[in-house]
Amino acid sequence: MRKIIHLDMDCFYAAVEMRERPELAGLPIAVGGGSKRGVICTCNYKARQYGVRSAMPGFMARQRCPDLVFLPVRFDLYRATSQVIRAIFHQYTPLVEPLSLDEAYLDVTDAGRYAWDIAREIRARILSETQLTASAGIAPNKMLAKIASDWRKPNGQFAVLPEQVHAFMAALPVRKIWGVGPKSAERFAARGINTCGDLQKLTLPEMAAQFGKWGEELYHLCRGEDNRAVRPHRIRKSLSTENTFFDNLTTLAECQEAIDKLGREVLDDLRAKVPERRIRNAYVTVKFSDFTRTTRQCVCTTPTLEIWRTLLAEAWQRKPLPVRLLGTGVQFADDDSDEDDDHDSAQERQAELFAADEA
Amino acid sequence: MKVILTKEALVAALGVVANVVSNRSPLPILGNALIKAEDGKLTIATTDLAIGVRAVMPAEVVEAGATTLPAKRFFSIIRELPAPEVTLTVDDKHSATIESGSAYYKIMGMPQEEFPPFPRLDGTRAFSLKQAQLKDMLRRTAYAISTEESRYVLNGVLLSFKENQLTVVATDGRRLAMVQEPLEFPEESAIDVILPTAAVNELQRVLKGDEPVGISIGQNQIAFDLGHIYMFSKLVDGNYPEYRRVIPAAATGRIVLERELLLSAVRRVALLANEKSLSVKLSFGNNNLEISANTPDIGEAKETLTISYTDRAFAIAFNPDYLMDPLKNLDGDQVFFDFTNEYEPGVLKYNRPFTYVIMPMRATPSGAK
Repeated sequence: MRKIIHLDMDCFYAAVEMRERPELAGLPIAVGGGSKRGVICTCNYKARQYGVRSAMPGFMARQRCPDLVFLPVRFDLYRATSQVIRAIFHQYTPLVEPLSLDEAYLDVTDAGRYAWDIAREIRARILSETQLTASAGIAPNKMLAKIASDWRKPNGQFAVLPEQVHAFMAALPVRKIWGVGPKSAERFAARGINTCGDLQKLTLPEMAAQFGKWGEELYHLCRGEDNRAVRPHRIRKSLSTENTFFDNLTTLAECQEAIDKLGREVLDDLRAKVPERRIRNAYVTVKFSDFTRTTRQCVCTTPTLEIWRTLLAEAWQRKPLPVRLLGTGVQFADDDSDEDDDHDSAQERQAELFAADEA
Repeated sequence: MKVILTKEALVAALGVVANVVSNRSPLPILGNALIKAEDGKLTIATTDLAIGVRAVMPAEVVEAGATTLPAKRFFSIIRELPAPEVTLTVDDKHSATIESGSAYYKIMGMPQEEFPPFPRLDGTRAFSLKQAQLKDMLRRTAYAISTEESRYVLNGVLLSFKENQLTVVATDGRRLAMVQEPLEFPEESAIDVILPTAAVNELQRVLKGDEPVGISIGQNQIAFDLGHIYMFSKLVDGNYPEYRRVIPAAATGRIVLERELLLSAVRRVALLANEKSLSVKLSFGNNNLEISANTPDIGEAKETLTISYTDRAFAIAFNPDYLMDPLKNLDGDQVFFDFTNEYEPGVLKYNRPFTYVIMPMRATPSGAK
């Protein structure tokens, strides 16, 4: 049986800004979302009282809370604070899996102490070293720990003991399971399934038949079963960058200019961060003004601006709409698979019957 | 439950259902076979949820009943039994005893209630044709099915019931095989479905003879009733590509070739086909066809066939497997090869309703995409 702590900083970016600028105390603030069409990264609890939420477009937030103070995003600042927090984590266990700058899983199975006490101590140290509050969830697995950290937020902690898992899950709304979004929740509700307890009444064959592979996973998740280990070194699978534009781009030339800029960023990042990795393919993402997203990719071992431009031209044609967002990126080849990376040198190529998007 | 039956009947039935057992499933019950005795019959069924197969055989039913037994283990026991007669007894705790001659086995089963029931196809479309006919149609097309999982709509054959014809199509996007046979059914039953590869394979194994096979198609599912064998399968969810568009309307030339000769010549030449590009070249000249292959730094192979051809000389390159697959699976002595030029797809036909479209290899400058 594992002992997992999920630590989650409370409104991290907003909290850091409030610490840096005490004059903002008591005001509703949002980080990000200040530009014409940006979205909010984080907001403080005062702003949340007005119904402001993260990922909400700035204009919508302003409608709900006219006095909202918008602050620009200062990633360097958050990253520096995040490093302080991670250093604290590592004093308790080497098994730390960061999920983002402001949350992480810790496996403290072998720490030889009560996980509850460790969580309380870590939170106290975070407060004294950064003046920021954090919440923690303590449970026998990652899924439960993550749900639990939300239970006494902000500045609190909650434990689900192994013997409590059954009762805890029975009452838990299905929406709380990772991967069950509002759509699925709605579909479940239509069938009278609201809690994980309701979901537990379905047999594994029924789940598998209705939801496929995901059904099998769901069968275990709704029982509070999750075997995933805390993985300290998650391997980066891709590298990308994207930009939402101040004004929609309407011509291919504008898009190409933007894609060149993004492509250069990715190439710089590749050189700076992961020069040793082998690349499997390059891709371009386009989000149109109707918010639909399309991706075009190709097999490619050495990406160039030229390749992204070609991909862009194909993706751009898919809808006659202005472009809201563009992204470029690469996916890495698995290091342990030995793919034939010079099959491109063949002199002949098998012709295809169907166009690429047909079959 | 207690039944007595011949080992021969049991082995034959197991041969039908054994492939569908899923041993790696998270559901232990799917590793079991349903065994049911009633009305002078023994029924054995297996399923992996995507496909299910049921076989019925005559048996002396001493006491009716049902259970499920670990399939692979049960099957391997039955195969090894020493005597021609088998007695199978199952108590109410699902403990099964198998006796045959001097051999005695006891294995533990699981309650039959846990075994997933076979779906009922309500409001279905129904079709019927000879088993051998369907088998033959699958044999002449199935080799062209795509094995690339990402192209999932191609991971099966298209069964198109339209205009009093059954059309079977398989393609991997580089070659396409199609057969068409007349079939009578009410026009409102017309439908296109994609039968997944696994079902195609199982079906080819069990279809036999002039007895009819009843086909029922329901929502996302299809069932085949062969009388003593019943099989259901999920259908591939998706739209099959517009295959008729890629069949060349007319070719400029036709060459008649001896099927066996062409097959063996390609097979020999392919031994030196480039491992990377995998191609053999067909060069059509004055009344002869040269088939050749070469791999830099390894060597080359060449073979010449005499044909009747006096038109423009040209060469076209193909993946040798794509050439050989239909030649292996057709009957008939002669095949017709229709072509337009070295860039357009070639079409293989013979004296029955059959069309095989094959895309050539195209020369590309080194390193180009």
